[in-house]
Amino acid sequence: MDHIASALGGWTVPAAFAGCLWGIFGGALPGISPSIAMALLLPFTYGMEPVTAIVLLASVYVGAEYGGSIPAILIRTPGTNASAATTIDGYEMARQGKAGEALGISLVSGLVGGLFGLAVLVLATEPLAEVALAFTPMAYFSLAILGLSVIASLSGGSLLKGVIAACLGLLVATIGSDPVSGVPRFTFGSPDLLGGVRPILIMVGLFAVSEMLVQIGEPAWGKAEKRDTRLKLPSFGMQRRLFRAQAIGCGIGTFEGVTPGAGGTVAAFMAYNEAKRWSKQPEEFGKGSPEGVAAPESANNVVTATALVPLLSLGIPGSNSAAILLGGFLIHGLQPGPMLFEKAPEVVAGLYWGLLLANIAMLLLGLVILTPALWLVNRPKPYLIAAILALVLSGVFAIEQSFFDVGIVLTAGVVGYLLRLAGVPTLPLVLGVVLGFMVESNYRRSLVISFGDHWVFLQDPVSLILLSLAALLTAWSLWREFGRKT
Amino acid sequence: MIGRRLALSAALLPLLPTAPLRAQMRYPVNPVTLITHSSPGGGSDVFLRELIKHLQPVMGVSFAVENVRGGSGATAVARVARSAPNGGTFYATTPTYIQTSYLSRPEVRWDGLDPMAIVFLDPEVIYTRSQSSFRTLKEAMDAAKANPGRQRWGAANPASLERIAMERLNRLTGARAAVVSHEGGADLMVGVLNGTYDVGIGEIQEVKAQLEAGRIRLLGVLTESRLPEFPDLPTAKEQGLDLVVTKFRGLAGPKGIPDDIAAMWEQALRTVLASPAYRDVYTKEALVPVMLGREQARRFTAQAAEDIGAALREMGVIR
Repeated sequence: MDHIASALGGWTVPAAFAGCLWGIFGGALPGISPSIAMALLLPFTYGMEPVTAIVLLASVYVGAEYGGSIPAILIRTPGTNASAATTIDGYEMARQGKAGEALGISLVSGLVGGLFGLAVLVLATEPLAEVALAFTPMAYFSLAILGLSVIASLSGGSLLKGVIAACLGLLVATIGSDPVSGVPRFTFGSPDLLGGVRPILIMVGLFAVSEMLVQIGEPAWGKAEKRDTRLKLPSFGMQRRLFRAQAIGCGIGTFEGVTPGAGGTVAAFMAYNEAKRWSKQPEEFGKGSPEGVAAPESANNVVTATALVPLLSLGIPGSNSAAILLGGFLIHGLQPGPMLFEKAPEVVAGLYWGLLLANIAMLLLGLVILTPALWLVNRPKPYLIAAILALVLSGVFAIEQSFFDVGIVLTAGVVGYLLRLAGVPTLPLVLGVVLGFMVESNYRRSLVISFGDHWVFLQDPVSLILLSLAALLTAWSLWREFGRKT
Repeated sequence: MIGRRLALSAALLPLLPTAPLRAQMRYPVNPVTLITHSSPGGGSDVFLRELIKHLQPVMGVSFAVENVRGGSGATAVARVARSAPNGGTFYATTPTYIQTSYLSRPEVRWDGLDPMAIVFLDPEVIYTRSQSSFRTLKEAMDAAKANPGRQRWGAANPASLERIAMERLNRLTGARAAVVSHEGGADLMVGVLNGTYDVGIGEIQEVKAQLEAGRIRLLGVLTESRLPEFPDLPTAKEQGLDLVVTKFRGLAGPKGIPDDIAAMWEQALRTVLASPAYRDVYTKEALVPVMLGREQARRFTAQAAEDIGAALREMGVIR
């Protein structure tokens, strides 16, 4: 019991709450990704106790992954990459006047995911670290292909348009340094493009900016329209219905979090896809299904804990956010890795308790914040749109103080608007941008390793399993989405 | 906005117990801004923040670290080049700013800045997983030579000094090994640990966690002489391979900084490097202090740029 008291003493509790609050705001603001929200706080942790600093940063991560769902539901603009999948059914629910209910589901599902992920982290770090170690470039390639296999169900009816959008995304991902040779591609000599186009910028443009353009073209909200402005947590019956979707989210989130790579974004998309596949009411998906909010939101919050598995046990950061946390450890002279559990067990224990507190904080803060948020989005439309655009663009500019980034966002916004007019779904495009680099770089690494032999993808056992799974799931989805109609 | 916030937090760093202030001319600017392209917690950021803790009492001015990201370092370089040459603004150099000059057309190239000092070299090591049968770099290379075109070697980023080093090793040995580049050190480490690669290359700092846990074995270090922290680790040169990687850390400012300011910096940096408190920190991170003053740093940087340019051309990355 002593270590509980010591872990919870001092600044741990305030750090968890403050971190979570900052994270929710950062996550909710489109353009501020969880890793940026963490990076902004990092310099303030230099003078803190190690445990306080680590708990603060990890709590930001927890809060930010949840916060992303708030604008995804309310204004169809995901605050983070990982909440893109939530826009589909979350915004649909909001349009039906059930925004309060959708926010409640997202909050509870995030909590379920966060606690499940924490349990996995505490109980199964050792065996899961071995899973992370089994991944070769071949396996990463196949994992990314598995992620791309959800395109069919994101295409909203037209597979051809979905594939076109995904290819556009993959093309955007080829901008930047060539992953194998280092030759600059499509950069036109600009150093701003050397590192590639960050997916968050495309995301902000495609969703926030193009949504605002669409909204401008529509009439103002009618006064009489009945809009639910009260937060509503899921009832017992509803929670029973959501259980399956949340379980799917937890399972997929665990797997995706542990394997370094695309992390929460792919986890959320895949969880959405599988929740639809196994749902008793699959026809509701895309038309405001509560399960369609629960699955991705539990998945991306599981990742906040399980992404720490490779970091803590191997010292290997699996995502940008984990890399910032690694920086937080290093600044305090702590080296995450196999020896951390022996050298600084109090920091590990403190982190576990801190994550638990962060999840509790997320629930409490969510209850407080969501009602004003609901009120806010029901303000007159012209003010709302102007304020959102100003907030989003200044946020994008502030991060790197770069007008170039603002240009990318605006371009993506116009392109997104045109795509929407043409009825092309934008979610596959996002998936392409997020996964494009992972697909290409690992495909080419594998071929360098095999000296050009393509069989290498089937000889690697993990890769073989993932590719077979991808083939199976794709065939099944295609049949479900398009086969039965003809 | 963010820059301001970072600067403020750096300025609030607690002053360490002061070393005797040198009886000399006062430094003309206060505070001094040190700019890095690395994000908070990244390599150069940690380097600067540790350095200023020790530099503050010696130079008698406050320092602010500012993270100017974007454009693979080009934004930060341009910012420093435009600043007044009064000793108030410096850029933390690494080979990255030279590479960016070659790989793109930045507003200001590496030679738009004037090197002020080269402080450290980051030693690179070649390592393998502990299950491997190789005990030394020579053993690994002999095996590669005996079976050309069979080994796989891992390196970090495609246009990095590490990849250049591995390609050179290929030419030195005729091993025709596949050199696989990655996105940073994390994926690479996984590849070495699970046996995808026979050997990998990285900075000591990057491999430390695995080394302490006994999961990897160091085969050789790519420096001129052995590291004091690892006296039993032979250099590549000792093992018959003429391979030295000079990954440097230094400072550069806008052109036209007066000589007396440069002299003050050189003296201050030498004092700091000799102080026991700072020495403890940097030897733990296996950084090799070199301390080149302005004249030497200029020559060193020009030579490094020439080498990097030649290597990138040779690998076909640039024309």
